[in-house]
Amino acid sequence: MRQYSSLRRNLTGYAFISPFIIGFLGFTLIPMFVSLYMSFTSYNLFTSPRWIGLDNYTKMFFDDPKYWNSVKVTFLYVFIGVPLRLIFALFVAMVLNTGSRMIGTYRTLYYLPSIIGGSVAVSIMWRNLFSNEGVINSALTAIGIGPISWFGDPNASLVMLISLSVWQFGSSMLIFLAGLKNISPEMYEAAGVDGANPVRKFFSITLPLLSPIVLFNMIMQTIGAFMTFVPAYIISKGEGGPMDGTMLYSLYLFRQAFMFNNMGYASAMAWIMLIMIGMLTVAVFLTSKYWVFYESEGGK
Amino acid sequence: MVKKAIFLMMAALLVFTAACSSGGGSEQGSSDGSVTLRIAWWGSDTRHEYTQKVIDLYKSKNPNVKIDVEYASFDDYWKKLAPQAAANQLPDIVQMDISYISQYAQNGQLEDLAPYLGNQIKVDDVSENVISTGVINGKQYGVPAGVNVLGFQYDPALLKKAGVDAIPDNMTWESYEALGKQTAEKGLYLDGGVAPDIFFHYFLRTKGLSLYNAEGTGLGYDDDQLFVEFFGLMRRMIEQGAAPTPDVANQTKGIIEESDLVKEKGIGVWQWSNQFVALQQVANRPLAIAPMPGPDMEKGLYMQPSMYWGVTSNSKVKEEAAKFIDFWVNDVEANKLIKGERGVPISGAIKEAIAPELSDATKQVFEFVAAMEPKASPMSPPPPVGSPEVISALADVVEELNFGKITPEQAAETFRKNAESVLANNK
Repeated sequence: MRQYSSLRRNLTGYAFISPFIIGFLGFTLIPMFVSLYMSFTSYNLFTSPRWIGLDNYTKMFFDDPKYWNSVKVTFLYVFIGVPLRLIFALFVAMVLNTGSRMIGTYRTLYYLPSIIGGSVAVSIMWRNLFSNEGVINSALTAIGIGPISWFGDPNASLVMLISLSVWQFGSSMLIFLAGLKNISPEMYEAAGVDGANPVRKFFSITLPLLSPIVLFNMIMQTIGAFMTFVPAYIISKGEGGPMDGTMLYSLYLFRQAFMFNNMGYASAMAWIMLIMIGMLTVAVFLTSKYWVFYESEGGK
Repeated sequence: MVKKAIFLMMAALLVFTAACSSGGGSEQGSSDGSVTLRIAWWGSDTRHEYTQKVIDLYKSKNPNVKIDVEYASFDDYWKKLAPQAAANQLPDIVQMDISYISQYAQNGQLEDLAPYLGNQIKVDDVSENVISTGVINGKQYGVPAGVNVLGFQYDPALLKKAGVDAIPDNMTWESYEALGKQTAEKGLYLDGGVAPDIFFHYFLRTKGLSLYNAEGTGLGYDDDQLFVEFFGLMRRMIEQGAAPTPDVANQTKGIIEESDLVKEKGIGVWQWSNQFVALQQVANRPLAIAPMPGPDMEKGLYMQPSMYWGVTSNSKVKEEAAKFIDFWVNDVEANKLIKGERGVPISGAIKEAIAPELSDATKQVFEFVAAMEPKASPMSPPPPVGSPEVISALADVVEELNFGKITPEQAAETFRKNAESVLANNK
């Protein structure tokens, strides 16, 4: 009875948040479970789903070399791209943390690429930069290397894709910048009095104090990188080529779902991706206690 | 109180769902005789522009008809259409591609147009070879919007520069390869590489076979040696420098401005006749079209519908939809706007009527298609369900083959395994 009356009391509240609840149920939760169901079926959008048990999963793991290739490409993309991006973001953040003139303008300019981030326009621009007569190849030819066929060579194309992801370092940079601002100058002064050089200051003060932010950035960027789709789609014209060199997981999933109409298989792929990202995040959290430093815990 | 709230919420939800489902459905003819047609197509901006003009023309001649249009790029088009099909909400008239029409037809999404032929849709001036390309399993699921034919589109001046006066008459695969050797010596590519599915299919047809079997449940050839023969030749072309290596070809793929022919590094390309106009425009120098290599070119050659018009089964105004298709096929004014952009018109009378209006390049295409039409054989059945996946599997192995990672024999075997596993679902 008490529950009943509390429901009544809160009815107005529920009414107000109902748009979110309906949206969440209709566009997130229910579709998620439908996709879980579909991952056990063969479904081509036209005929009704046919239950096939674990067939999609067994095909994925044992009978689809293209699947494993897409996993490999994605891992390369994530494990090379994310650290590079973070290092680059931290470096730029530290440069922008020095108080020189027009620093506000610079911060804005460096952040801009992330706003237009994964957009189609940027990917097309990247395609043009790396094309036969693009800026990159002209520069390479001028110094006597190349031209490299960035879209033709299976190894070069992933490098190009990673370079695009590193270039979009703005959002992690901004977070690093906020973290850097939080480190009190007295620490550096005290270390300076004790005779620490800049390298020592970086490794003994900046990095430990910034480690919670590194953790945050790392997790967010890893999750984002796993789901990268647009650049690979645009740059390879939706084909993941050459030789599947840019066939990221999400692109392969997309191809299965919308080009081959294998909705069931694509759903199964989506769930495995969810599990992979989940496991990776847990792993990062587990290791974090060895390298993340929280001041409030007295350095434990 | 709570009951009332739940009731209100359910009522609100009902309104919400009802609102969702009413969108997009075709309206039936209303009491004042007005009809609303929904029509969808894919294409470039030029196509969207003139198609809209054709529709406006139709509306001015049929004031009782309202036409809602939906258009997109090729990739987006099929992504939009599939969910509409799943929800029985397809537009009344849809543009269909040859690689998708079987799927839509076999799943009951398209209407058999045979009863409308000769009534709403006049086909007196259309050759039987052409109209029958829209027949799948004995039913007329599509009317071709125009036809294409394969050919070798090349630059005669560049060919002379390579020391060859003309493409040999009745060219065979051997003379083609020999020609490649000659041009390679002068540092010129003979061709820019080929779309594997289309030309392998052509090659199989010259042997009286086909890429898919008639039922669409497997491949249409049993001897992997044919695969080895054809793609072995393509690879030799690359090795001897008569065709670009795959990394070079990939770099410029799909960018006509950077293609070898336009850059005067390559003499020609194998492709569909309708692609000639754009190529000629960008190259901006005289180009020519030569027939495909043989032997048995006649057996291999076929008139391919560039695309079809289809009427969907869920349409409630099928007759009106058929009338619009007739307008597309038989109206002179409309075809003066279309100018053969969707392939050479299927009606002979229209071809003659619009000839004076055409650009030189389009005229060349019309002439080439007219010359090939009597030689062509009937088309193989449209590709079966799953063909996009098979084509992608073929492109994959051919790419590995051209990169030199696998032998033609391995490629043939891998392709057979992958294709058969996809097509087995059609059994």
